[in-house]
Amino acid sequence: MKSIEIIVPPVLAFIIGLFFLGLFRRIMARIHWRYGPPLIQPLIDVIKLFHQKSVQHGIMFNIGLIFSLAGSIVVVLFLPFGRICPLSESGGLLVILYIMLIAPLGLALSGGEGANPNISIGISRKFILSLGYEIPLLLILLSIMTHYKTISLMEIVKIQQNTSWALLSFPLFLPALAYLLILPAILGVRPFDVSSAPQEIASGTMVEYGGRYLALATIEHAFSLFIGISLFVNLFLGGSCNIVVFFIKMLVVFTIGVFINAVFPRLRIEQAIKYLWRLPVALAFIGLIIVSIL
Amino acid sequence: MILITILLIAFGGAFVTYLAGKISGKLRNILAVLVSLALVVLISLIYRREISREYYTLPFLNLKLILMSNPLSWFFAIIIAGIGLLSILYSLEYMKDKERLDYYYFTLLFINASMLGTVISGDLLSFFIFWEIMSWSTYLLISYKGGKAIAAGLKYIIMSIIGSLAMLLVIISLYSRYGTMEISAIASYMQTASIGYTLFILITSSLSFVIINAFWPLHTWLPDAHAEAVSPFSSVLSAVLVRKGIYGLYLFMYVILGLNILNKLHVGFISFSSVLCGIGAVTIVFAAFTALVQEDSKRILAWSTVGQGGYMLLGIVFATASGMTGGMFHVLNHCIYIALLFFVAGAIEHRTGGIRNINELGGLIKRMPVTFIAALVGISGLIGIPLTNGFVSKWLIYKTLILGNHPFLAFAAFVGTWGTVLYGYKFIHNIFLGQLPEKYKHIKEAPLLMQLPMILLTVTVILFGVLPGIPLRVISAIQRQVALPPLQTTLFGIPKEAGELNMINVLFAILISCFIVWLLFRRAAKSVPVQQDDSYAAGSYVPKEKYHYTVNFYNPLSKMITPYLRDVASLFYLNIARGTQRVCNIIRRVYVGEVGYYAMYIVLFLAFLIFIQMFF
Repeated sequence: MKSIEIIVPPVLAFIIGLFFLGLFRRIMARIHWRYGPPLIQPLIDVIKLFHQKSVQHGIMFNIGLIFSLAGSIVVVLFLPFGRICPLSESGGLLVILYIMLIAPLGLALSGGEGANPNISIGISRKFILSLGYEIPLLLILLSIMTHYKTISLMEIVKIQQNTSWALLSFPLFLPALAYLLILPAILGVRPFDVSSAPQEIASGTMVEYGGRYLALATIEHAFSLFIGISLFVNLFLGGSCNIVVFFIKMLVVFTIGVFINAVFPRLRIEQAIKYLWRLPVALAFIGLIIVSIL
Repeated sequence: MILITILLIAFGGAFVTYLAGKISGKLRNILAVLVSLALVVLISLIYRREISREYYTLPFLNLKLILMSNPLSWFFAIIIAGIGLLSILYSLEYMKDKERLDYYYFTLLFINASMLGTVISGDLLSFFIFWEIMSWSTYLLISYKGGKAIAAGLKYIIMSIIGSLAMLLVIISLYSRYGTMEISAIASYMQTASIGYTLFILITSSLSFVIINAFWPLHTWLPDAHAEAVSPFSSVLSAVLVRKGIYGLYLFMYVILGLNILNKLHVGFISFSSVLCGIGAVTIVFAAFTALVQEDSKRILAWSTVGQGGYMLLGIVFATASGMTGGMFHVLNHCIYIALLFFVAGAIEHRTGGIRNINELGGLIKRMPVTFIAALVGISGLIGIPLTNGFVSKWLIYKTLILGNHPFLAFAAFVGTWGTVLYGYKFIHNIFLGQLPEKYKHIKEAPLLMQLPMILLTVTVILFGVLPGIPLRVISAIQRQVALPPLQTTLFGIPKEAGELNMINVLFAILISCFIVWLLFRRAAKSVPVQQDDSYAAGSYVPKEKYHYTVNFYNPLSKMITPYLRDVASLFYLNIARGTQRVCNIIRRVYVGEVGYYAMYIVLFLAFLIFIQMFF
């Protein structure tokens, strides 16, 4: 039973993540008045890429990417998915926060070995952007942990199921709003896709990847989409007891993200930071002050 | 007798090593290694032998000077001896062709000896004596290289003297009041002291510890001193010497005063602990962002030393089981990975002919793989990636802050960590990844004797990260010593009752996921290694220059934050220094040092007196 519990979340995350990537292209196409590719196109691409030859730049180029994907898989094991959470006893939200670092660091190490200026610019922007959204995100997480007086994500979900969603409860709707405002930055979609920016720096960190590297990077991207959204669902929408409801909640949040992506043009990195450090930080900060006084 | 033996070997060994250097260099090196090895062995022998006190007589003020060992002093003593041994081993190759080596080894051993003295002394007078020896000999070794190093050393010694004077004031005051200097006796007297006096003792003594531990706003000596000292000594400085401040704070706050008194010291919201917390939080954030804009490998590490001190402070001022354990564990962890990182910076310096500017380097992973792994593990520890030791201690500290309802302090600590991610990656990227400059195409990996300490420390970072139970058991003994509740621990982490953390599960999860991804990676179509210009320049001719983006790596961010990073404290001290210089210059014009002038002053003064007498 336990072993099935461990296998299920990563497999589901893989399927849902790739499905989201497909859906992403599909919705974007409809907004552009096109038909768009079939929903399983990302899966087809990944399988195709695994069969293509590619170039590489050294050992860290491989290891970094492997670490990055492995890190994402481990994060999925820590996130409650419906009722399933295989590693909830090994550490709470703080562990998740720190393991979430492995994926971007691994990608950055792998890309750095590529010795391509586009990659380095992409990484530099990625880290600056992540500092940009981490500051509001940390305030948000802290207000949740302080409010519920626990650092275990499983507990947070349970309390919400017994009372009401954090999104709808009094002091916590402020951080929830802030999270919604920074969600596109966490997912790395349009107004904040500075680190990949295909038209400026040729997809940034992805530029040297081909074949199996691109396949792994795509899977990693799918996982990170899954993680960003399911963290929101767990923190603010009360998680869920069953997988289907959980998935529907994720789908709603994801669709909002896609709409934002379709409408807004890309910001420059300074503009992005300025945006992230103003309204979201202010909201989260006020939320945290209220929470810590109450 | 064992404590006296330790001190005798430590101090005597330093002198013997110096003398042996006059005979032959090889003998000196062997002796230095033997002395530091003997210290490690002797100190491990007294593990768990609590409160053994030994007297040595010094007929002065009728005082008996006391040596003692308890869990707290053992914890610090083993760190000092261990890092001492590794830095001596590292020095053997690093310092090979440098000059004045007898002096170097003598001072290094002497500093280790005096640091050992401070932690095993059982009365404040011997504590102060060893502390002073430590300050002075540190000054000698910081300015070893000459040039800029002399200025850095001066900066250190001036601040250190101010600290020492504050401590001397405390000791004299305590002695004149209670007539004893024994720590345990003073501790029992202090229980009945008035609040005002307690506060005076606490604040004045903290001054010297805050300076040595380089908390903001008294941090200004550290970046210069760490960057300008020779690398093996930088790691001693940053790993153990700086942390004597934490030892001192712990000694005064918990061993001498104790929790009951500390809890009384507050006016409304503000208490002694809350002030210290504020200092810690500011230190963390300021240091993290300053490190972000540095371009000098050792200066980055120096600023990280300043910042990590804040975490320890945030840990130990909260007298809860997890906070205290986290703070103490962080002292140990920081000592391990920062020593490792300074060794890495030293190895780079050694092989590239003294290059410390990280923008001039690049691609060294291909030439120095062992050093790269050491750097990677060290930086991961610094950031606190799970499976490295830094994670467990930071986890404990965060947990304390969040559950103790201090979310803003926790926020400062978190922001510091994310700053660390940025400068940690920049450190690795600019030195090891990317394009290998033409002039470094043929450099070799660091020599074996320099690799050995790095490998040992790398293994320890991982070992304590996966099995935190080993060091945590030693630390819970310290807790019991000052009657604080010890934290429950298991070999792999924290049991369910005290919050839950299980590193072995995390290890297996990561290993298995890596294995699965690797299998997928192996099964896929193969890839061919290519050179940088093959893909980037698409095969066309490129002139041999640097094509990698490293200089000013976080340019958009640093442009935004630099205006806010003016080191106000440093400017303030510089202004004081300049003012003093001006006053001294005026005085110098009066006291010129020529007899003629003084004769003139005497005549003028006499004339003045006569003038007064004639008219009044």
